[in-house]
Parts: sequence; structure tokens; C-alpha cells
Amino acid sequence: MFVRPDNWNKMSPLERRKARLDAWQSAPVPFASSEAEANYKERIERLRKIYDMEPHDRPIADLFMGANEYIVRRKGIQGKDIIYDHEKLREPVLEFHREFQPDVSVAVLPYPGKPWDMLDFKTYIWGGQKLPDNLAIQAVEGEYMRADEYKDFAADPTAFWLKQYLPRAYGALGPLAMLPDFTRISESVDTIDLLVPFGLPPFQEMLKRMMDAGNELMRILGIVGQTGAMVAGEGFPAMGFNIVKTPFDYLGDTLRGTKGILMDMYRHPKDLLAATEAYVPVLIKSIVGASDRANAPSAMYVLHKGADGFMSKEQFEKFYWPTWKQVMLALYEEGITSYLFIEGSYNQRLEYLAEMPEKSLVCHFDKSDMKRVKEVLSDKFIIAGNVPASLMATGTTDDVRACCASLMDLFGDVPGYIMAHGCYFENSTDEKICAFIDSVKK
Amino acid sequence: MTQELIEAITDMREEDALEITKQLLDNGTDPVVILDACRESMTIIGKRFEDGDCFISELILAGEMLSEISAEVKPRLQQDSDAKKIGKVVLGTVQGDIHDIAKDIVGFMLDINGFDVTDLGVDVSPAKFVEAVQQTGAKVVGLSGFLTLAFDPMKFTVEALKNAGLTDVKVMIGGGQIDENIRQYTGADAYGKDAMAAVALAKSWS
Repeated sequence: MFVRPDNWNKMSPLERRKARLDAWQSAPVPFASSEAEANYKERIERLRKIYDMEPHDRPIADLFMGANEYIVRRKGIQGKDIIYDHEKLREPVLEFHREFQPDVSVAVLPYPGKPWDMLDFKTYIWGGQKLPDNLAIQAVEGEYMRADEYKDFAADPTAFWLKQYLPRAYGALGPLAMLPDFTRISESVDTIDLLVPFGLPPFQEMLKRMMDAGNELMRILGIVGQTGAMVAGEGFPAMGFNIVKTPFDYLGDTLRGTKGILMDMYRHPKDLLAATEAYVPVLIKSIVGASDRANAPSAMYVLHKGADGFMSKEQFEKFYWPTWKQVMLALYEEGITSYLFIEGSYNQRLEYLAEMPEKSLVCHFDKSDMKRVKEVLSDKFIIAGNVPASLMATGTTDDVRACCASLMDLFGDVPGYIMAHGCYFENSTDEKICAFIDSVKK
Repeated sequence: MTQELIEAITDMREEDALEITKQLLDNGTDPVVILDACRESMTIIGKRFEDGDCFISELILAGEMLSEISAEVKPRLQQDSDAKKIGKVVLGTVQGDIHDIAKDIVGFMLDINGFDVTDLGVDVSPAKFVEAVQQTGAKVVGLSGFLTLAFDPMKFTVEALKNAGLTDVKVMIGGGQIDENIRQYTGADAYGKDAMAAVALAKSWS
């Protein structure tokens, strides 16, 4: 938990940023040995200097957004195990860190398979459920909000999420639709409205199921948390972020679907704009709260529908960028760095990012032109990327070495650079992983 | 007035395009002329996409407009007036991957460019591709895949086609993480970076 210092209200955004990074860097870790402690401190200090864009000995190589499944798959772990058997992941994860000594920890995302089953989760499918055992997880695009519901959403995004979206996304949560509008509960008799659903059998059954799923989740988080603490204790710091999205991507990925939201720019432009605008304060509050709870100095955006090719510049300027920028600026004011995981190409968007204040962003690229990235962004922001997943999966070790070397040539002299992948991959070789890790060591 | 229809479609004015279509039909315009105007519109949009002046949002909207116009026009056609097809393509998202948006755009662009497209949908096994090629006699296969997990199923599908003796069939691949590395890995004949590239490849093989 991040606790704001007493003088928070008098601090500048960069002072707040420093306070958050200090808290992240000094969080207690159960070190396995004094050697592990020394390694951890050296690694997190290097990462800190990169985040601060201050002189440091070398860039780091971060495998998290690429090899997060490979680190266990190399030991025969299947997609189904990643979803359902978190205990089974511990040894392969620890073994990977001991063997490869990465600059920062690499975590397998903590997918809660059994709670998903218990709640009939619908927006993804996964290994051991509807996907074959060897695969992990895929999103199921759908229309979880109809176009005529934009006005409901804009009027009260939180109520829409609670009473309309969640019952559609989780089969077992249908009774949430019975909840009253909480903001109307004020007078003595309104207690009746508040409590009626809680007295009805379907709602009670749902609560019981949620509690059972919650208990199972806590068991999983116990295992995952212990693995994470052991990895940190053996000397490997985490990058420190929560995963978030832009207002447009929450609406597009989650509520309307790709086709739905892209059509809405033509068919329902005013409703779409009103919804993204209504989302802004809700999202800021939510991200700041999550960052505080996790003591995470960064919010990591997985960026989708604003990429080159999806929409025109005019559409980006009208529908995507303004509300996203508002959120990022508000986070900057709160001292939270926006870590942008930019899927696809962003060659036509770089100048927009350049509007943001210095040190407010980490820009992690997939398929963008890195020479332009350097020119436009590297003086102000930390840059990460962009070794292709295709190379890690099917290229030779020499190919990986050459790709990393050219990135080092390009970014060796910038204030902050992180060698990273543009996309995750299931398959690779240990030799290629070594080439990637070693590429930043002179 | 067909010029107005072309302009409405290419300017992405959906309501105008439908209104003009209705007026044309009411005025007794031959439905074939309207469908020809749609094809001309798509040629213009396709060229813009190729030049980087058109976006996925516009391609999807154009697809919607064309299907809405077709629904208005086709009941009034005297007979099936589909122009002669220039080739057959079997298309699908490979096994294990359920993404369909890019595949659908490719299918749509191939269709309006004169190809007879058999769309097998998503999560398509190598055996289903083989079966569809054998049934249709298609000489071009398009494999789509958004995720990195598509690499191996693409390779297995290329192998399955060869093992079934379909060596004269050309295979093109495309999708989010597909590039020349993956083309080599899978043994496909070509990869296309977007829908217009897929059309150009299919034309070059037909």
C-alpha cells in the first residue's frame, strides 16, 4: 500500500513520482541471502535510474511482455496448467530465474481458472475449458453493451458496469441486475430498496457462489504471491505496474467489440464521445486507487484500437486521444507513470505522445519505426521494445543477436532504454533467451 | 445518380448511400448498374487503403454499406447476375485462434475483387482446410492468425495440404504477428501485410 506523505498536497508531479518510486524501490522483500539482497538492490537501482532517465551503466533486458509463458512452457507446462495449477508453476519459475539471472522478474499472469468456472466467466476461453489443454487464453469479442445503452453508460458508468456488464460477462452474476441505484438511498424507507435483493434466494445464491469463488481466489493468490515473493527474495525486482486501458479501449475491447466501436464512430459519434468523457473521472479514480493498493509506480496500458490502420488521424484526434490524454495527465499529477504497451504500429501517433510532460511515459513498442521513435520521443520518455515475437519463436539465435545489437546501436545513447519484446510468444529456445538477456551487457 | 452513390459510399455517408440506392431503384435503375457502382466504390476504397489513406474502420463500414445495399437490390435482380469469378480462395483462421476481424476483411476484399471465397470461419483444423480445397478446387488458400500460437497451426496446415498432394495450391498467410520469418517457418508461399496485399497475391496466382 502506498501511503502519501503529509506534504503530498504541496508536492509537484515529479516529486510525487519520486515518492511513489521511492516507496516501490524500498518495499520490504524477504531476501533468501545477503547475495540475493545485493543483487536485488543492484538490479532495482539500475531500473530506477532508467525510470529516472539518469546516467546508468547499461540498459536492462525485460522478458515480461514476451517470455511470460515460455519460462514455464520450457519445462513442459501446458496452457491448462497455467490456468488451473498455480502450484505447479512455482519450480519452473524459480528455476528460470536461477538459471538465466534476468535483470527483472518474469511472472506468469495469475489466471484464476477455477473461480472463472465457478462464476461462468464468458469474455475469455482458456485451456482445459473450451481451448485445448496446450493453449492458455483468448478473448472472446462480443457486444456486451448495445449501442442504445450508451446513454445508460454515460449517465453512470459504475452502475452500468455493476448491473449490466457484470451479469453479461459472468453467467453466475445475473442477480446483480437486481441491485438498486445506490445514490437514491437516503431516506428511512430506502433501506427497503437497499436490502430487498439481499433477502431473495437468487441473490443469496449468487453471494454464496461469489464467496466460494473468493475463497478459491485467495488460495490461488496465496500461491502466486508466495512465488512472487520467492522470486523477489532471490534477487529479482518486478517492474511495478497495474494493467489498465484507455477509455476508448475499455469501451471497444470490453463493451462494444472492435466492429461495434469502429462503426459507432460513424453511427453514434455523440453517444460514443459522451461515454468516453463520462469514463474519464471514473477511470482516474480507479487507477489511482489500484496504484496505491499495489504500491505500483506505473499504470500499464495495453493499447489496441488507436493503432495505425484502425482509425484515421482525425478519428484518433476526436475519439481516442483527448480522453486518454486527460487520464494520463491526471495520473501524472498523481505521480503515476503511464507505461504504454503499444501493440501493432504507432508511427502516425508519435507526435501525440510527445505532447505529454517529460518522464510521464514509458513507451514500449511492437512494430513501430524505432528510428522515428528515437527522434520524436527518446529525449522525454523511457523507450522499450521491440524484438519481434516471430524472431523469438522461429528465428535463429544469430537473428536475435543481430536484432538486439541493432537496437543497442540505436538506443545505447538515450537516457532510458529497456530491451523488450513487441509481443509475447509461447515457443522459443533457451539459447535465444540468453542472447536476448546478454545483448544489453557490454 | 450512380456517381452520387459512389461518392456517398467512398465518403462513408451510410445513410445517404442507402437513400440514394432506394431512389435509384424507385426510378427504375437496373439493379446490376447499382451493384457495378458498389464495385467501383470498393475499387476506390481499396486503392486508398493500399495508399494508407483508408482505415479498418472505413473498410468495416464499407462492408456494412455493401451488405445493406445488396439486401435492397438483390430481391429485384432478374437472375443471379454475379460477374464471372476470377478464381477460388479458401480462407480461415487457423486452429486454436478465434479471431475473425482481419480474416473477414480479407474475405470481403477478395469477394468484391471478383474471387469466389469459401470462408471456413475460425479455429479451423488443417484437415478442414484440406477438405475444403479438395471440394472447391481452389488454387489459393488464405490462413489468418492473430496470436503467436497461430505459427504452428499455419505450418501444420501448409504441411497437410502438401501431404494431401495439393502441391499446386498457393498458400498466403497474414495476421498481427505474421512476417517473413513466419512465412519461412510455415513454408507458406507468401505473407500479406493487409487485405489489399492478399488481393494482389490472389490475383497474381489466378
